[in-house]
Amino acid sequence: MQVTTWKKLLSVAVLSATTAVCSAEEVTIYGVKSLSGSFASYGKFADMGSKLAVEEYGDLLGSPVKYEAIDTEGNAGKAVRKVQEAISQDGALFFNGATLSSTALAIGKEVDKAGGVFMTPAGADELTGTDCNMATFRWSVPTYGAIHETVEPLIKAHPEWKRWYTITPQYVFGEALLENAKEVFAAQGVEHVGNSYHSLQEQEFSGYLTNAMAAKPDVLLLLNFGGQSSNALRQAVNFGLKNEMKILVAWSSGLDQLQELGPDVAEGVYFGAQYWHTVDTPMNNELVKRVREAYDMAPNYPMAADYIGTKVILDAIAKAGSTDGAAVAKALEGSVYQGPTGEETVRAADHQVLKDYYLLEGKAASEMQDEDDFAEIISSGESFPDESSLDCTRS
Amino acid sequence: MNRSKKQASIFSGVTLAALAAVVLMPLLLPSATLATEILIFALAALGCNLLLGYTGLLSFGQAIFFGGGAYVASLTMIHLGFGLLGALFAAMIAGAALAALVGLLAIRRTGIYFVMLTLAFTQMAYFLAYTLSDWTGGDNGLLDVPRPPLTLFGFEISDLTSSYAFYTFVAVMFMLIFVFARRVIHSPFGTTLVAIRENEGRASAVGFSTNHFKLLAFVISGGITGIAGALYAMLLNFAPLSNIELLMSENILIMTIIGGTGSLLGSLLGAGSIVMLGDLLSSVWPRWMIILGIALIAVVLFMPSGLWGGVESLIKRWKERRSGGSEKAAKEAEAK
Repeated sequence: MQVTTWKKLLSVAVLSATTAVCSAEEVTIYGVKSLSGSFASYGKFADMGSKLAVEEYGDLLGSPVKYEAIDTEGNAGKAVRKVQEAISQDGALFFNGATLSSTALAIGKEVDKAGGVFMTPAGADELTGTDCNMATFRWSVPTYGAIHETVEPLIKAHPEWKRWYTITPQYVFGEALLENAKEVFAAQGVEHVGNSYHSLQEQEFSGYLTNAMAAKPDVLLLLNFGGQSSNALRQAVNFGLKNEMKILVAWSSGLDQLQELGPDVAEGVYFGAQYWHTVDTPMNNELVKRVREAYDMAPNYPMAADYIGTKVILDAIAKAGSTDGAAVAKALEGSVYQGPTGEETVRAADHQVLKDYYLLEGKAASEMQDEDDFAEIISSGESFPDESSLDCTRS
Repeated sequence: MNRSKKQASIFSGVTLAALAAVVLMPLLLPSATLATEILIFALAALGCNLLLGYTGLLSFGQAIFFGGGAYVASLTMIHLGFGLLGALFAAMIAGAALAALVGLLAIRRTGIYFVMLTLAFTQMAYFLAYTLSDWTGGDNGLLDVPRPPLTLFGFEISDLTSSYAFYTFVAVMFMLIFVFARRVIHSPFGTTLVAIRENEGRASAVGFSTNHFKLLAFVISGGITGIAGALYAMLLNFAPLSNIELLMSENILIMTIIGGTGSLLGSLLGAGSIVMLGDLLSSVWPRWMIILGIALIAVVLFMPSGLWGGVESLIKRWKERRSGGSEKAAKEAEAK
């Protein structure tokens, strides 16, 4: 008799516990980060950004938000396989991150098939262009905006800089930057005096820099990024190019790249950036404060990008009131929110976030106010292709 | 006599061990996709093993066949509407043809010059794939690679959409190729390859056209590696450019060496160790590749026959100890 009563009590307890668990929809955000491999230094900050966003969010749909990092190992194939695993094993739906364009494009397809949502800061224009889909959203400004918000303001501020030379990595991303640069040159009436292509594996730029010197340009425009732009810039400074012409790195990774270069190299050089920690917006001021408290450093681009990428997905889940991927994607479309760069809008037509891009100028060591004060913002603004000219034909 | 026949059968011994591993892997590993990746790379390592382990050719060209197979299978499915088996057949032919092309020139030289030639071919293939971005997707990779259903004589056997269904298909492919590779090794052709590995001059002196044998080994290796590349593209629905870069050749070689050259089961062990090591350690320690380097050094210095060689010597020692123990017991009984 006593045993039967205990069994009844136990089953009631288990039933009520199960009901309580089932009534709350548990939200898990999957951070796709390069935690090991060639891009581990980037992935580390991106992971810190996502973690911070989840930690400070608190409860969502009745239970605390969970965060799971997926290490891409800097390899697109590994990343896709692990994302497939998360989808099939854990029913994962919400993803953020992916540094490499190839990784982001392939993951976008997988998440779309699963009916989820994927926010990425990757560079490939195809993400919101020919390969756009219902699931994929992109925070970073496309190549169009990166060129229009760096080359144009410089030409306008210095009409005497008439001759421009470009160094371009020969692949889709580099070609897109070059095409946009050529259009701006033509529209602004400046002369494109030459271009040097290099491969994606190139680390030695002396030959290209010699060609650039021979063309006697007023401005050298570097269209490569990451380690390649740092190496090209260092070698250009060693060659004394800074004394003969102005140098613009159109697609820099911001603070972490300037920390790596140091003020001796960066002084007087122009940089295009998706984010800069001194931007005076309410949300960015708050972000800088929180990052200092949590990590004792200033936020950099990967951290800010993955922080806001994670946060907007969580906000969209709250707005949709469910973990249904399609409903969350709908909630994201057209949403306007306060982001690190000010008011940011998710364009419904191609899932591109409309936000500012920055033109920075490197400071001399003597002008730096603090250890992170490597550059000042010269100009900023939003430049995006018209909706009528988009390549995105999402059904 | 029956016993020796049994030992020589290509369906016994290591084949049964491989079958047991293939059946147990999806049950023991965290996911079927991880198990599928291991089998695909085990196939690539197996192809490499035919060259390195049985013919003594250290080829850095395996990425050409792997990437080539992946691209050809993907493109024939996307543009020509090939089905699953048609695409795999096309990938095998492409891998074999690429291997014939590389082999034809590379086997003219031996030693370090042979290695350098295969290395140069891989770099060329990488830049070709990188340049032909309209076909390969360049750095972005080839997207939207389908995984067609498995159909035979017009009947759909499985749609292969679930990860377990695709694992089963890859497992069947792996076992078929494993048995084929054993058949090759145990044939007179296989023993000639081993003779070439041991002493090419002597093999040539007794009348074998060693270059023809080496070329055929290249072609078989290329065909198998091409199939592995195609299966990888179908698993991911995507063919990344990294399939055809030098690092892929290095990874396949490392899997082969760590598993054990000259042992087909070693290829499975090598691929399983490396893929699982990456999967488990990468999220724990970003610099996990250091462990891989240490493991490679340890295997080369202390286990020249690889992990499988180590397992074999442990089994041998255990058997010796057991037989030694029983002999001692018999002697004691006799004395009593």
